[in-house]
Amino acid sequence: MPKHDTPLLDELEKGPWPSFVTDLKRQAEKKPECFDILGQVELSYKDKITHWKHGGIVGVFGYGGGIVGRYSDVPERFPGVAHFHTVRLNQPSSKFYSSAKLRDICNLWEKYGSGMTNMHGSTGDLVLLGTTTPNLEPLFYELTHDLNQDLGGSGSNLRTPECCLGRARCEWGCYDTQDLCHSLTMHYQDEIHRPAFPYKFKFKFSGCPNDCVAAIARSDFAVIGTWRDDIRIDQAAVKGYIKGEFAPNAGAHSGKDWGKFDIKAEVLDLCPTGCMWLEGDTLKIDNSECTRCMHCINVMPRALRPGKKQGATICVGAKAPILDGAQFATMTIPFLEINKDTEYAEVVEVIEKIWDWWMEVGKNRERVGETIMRMGLPTFLKVMEITPLPQHIKEPRSNPYVFWQDDEVEGGFERDVKEFRKRNAQ
Amino acid sequence: MALSKDELKAAILDKAMTAPKPQLYVKDFYACDPDAKPRDVKNAANDLVKEGKMDFWSSGSTTMYAAKGRAKDEEHR
Repeated sequence: MPKHDTPLLDELEKGPWPSFVTDLKRQAEKKPECFDILGQVELSYKDKITHWKHGGIVGVFGYGGGIVGRYSDVPERFPGVAHFHTVRLNQPSSKFYSSAKLRDICNLWEKYGSGMTNMHGSTGDLVLLGTTTPNLEPLFYELTHDLNQDLGGSGSNLRTPECCLGRARCEWGCYDTQDLCHSLTMHYQDEIHRPAFPYKFKFKFSGCPNDCVAAIARSDFAVIGTWRDDIRIDQAAVKGYIKGEFAPNAGAHSGKDWGKFDIKAEVLDLCPTGCMWLEGDTLKIDNSECTRCMHCINVMPRALRPGKKQGATICVGAKAPILDGAQFATMTIPFLEINKDTEYAEVVEVIEKIWDWWMEVGKNRERVGETIMRMGLPTFLKVMEITPLPQHIKEPRSNPYVFWQDDEVEGGFERDVKEFRKRNAQ
Repeated sequence: MALSKDELKAAILDKAMTAPKPQLYVKDFYACDPDAKPRDVKNAANDLVKEGKMDFWSSGSTTMYAAKGRAKDEEHR
């Protein structure tokens, strides 16, 4: 395959940053089809329109996800990318894999694909970019038989679940995110590999409210670690921070002259609910007002830690802005115990209640967050058998109507209209 | 009363072969048996794919079903 002139792409090699154009040129020495990627992308920059088209019946036998069909709409000019399918691999929890495993995957991809990868996709998958339809089955066979590696999710499937580093590296993990992520990945293999829903559905697991995988913004079902008792305080360490013995934020902002640590300006005054104060040099917290923002804990990690009664908050319905703009997940269950001994039965029960309802009433290509918006949060809470809490309410009611349920009104809503008309003038 | 699994599969396949559109959402098959649970309809449709009588058609973000041979790849459009 010949090289193509790429003056527009070449501009992206200038400057001090790494460039995907340089990577593609280097890869093209081994995989000539990469010249055609460069040529087609150059054409797209010139025409200001994509020349990829995606979709189709490509896949591997028995699977309804994990492969995204992609084709060039100018295959006669760029035959090397006439087929350029994407393969998604289910990443291990927290993306903990060995360099040997990565090397094996890359070697296999050199054999069956373009060698180009995307580490990692938004859902965390290892994304392999560019192969042909005839290569899919042999690639899949070797992936599963030799590398013990499965595909991830795509289409109207449960997408590859993703979690933060959790207790493996982080002292703030309020539950074992890796184990829950792995367990549910195994439990829901059918939903990951075969379409089940009106549209995509994503799980994400964060161990604490810092929410390092941005579960609240990116997942339909966000499990965010929290605690229900008091923040643990080491008053001696608080004094140490005030005296300047410890760097705030564990030194993350060191290197510039920020001046002496000021606990009032940097912690107390920034508490969103104003629930902290000093009595002398003793830190006090009104824990009933704490919203778990994590700011104080992040600034003074030696002095403050999450409480001991740990579990998770369940938030439902985040999505990216295809319809009606982006939306955050709605807090649905303030505290749920995450119990490995029951094989996470409590979490599974919540998930399946959501799915049963959404599969019934969700429209085609409607995310569960959109279904909740359309049907209303009161309906969703009723389905979930959750008693509304003040934290569910976004703002005070602004209309005078009271929405009673049929069974809450004496005699229900059934009325004999003729009887009614006899007693009431029209 | 809900159809048996085999009856449900036959109804789904019939709809997939005769519907004006070659590709259908799983929800389009719910009408094949209004008494069936959505999960049972999904499982029956997926069984038909395993049996080679239907194909998955995926845009990457959404997956649809088509009777074997009715759906086309983007390559052939």
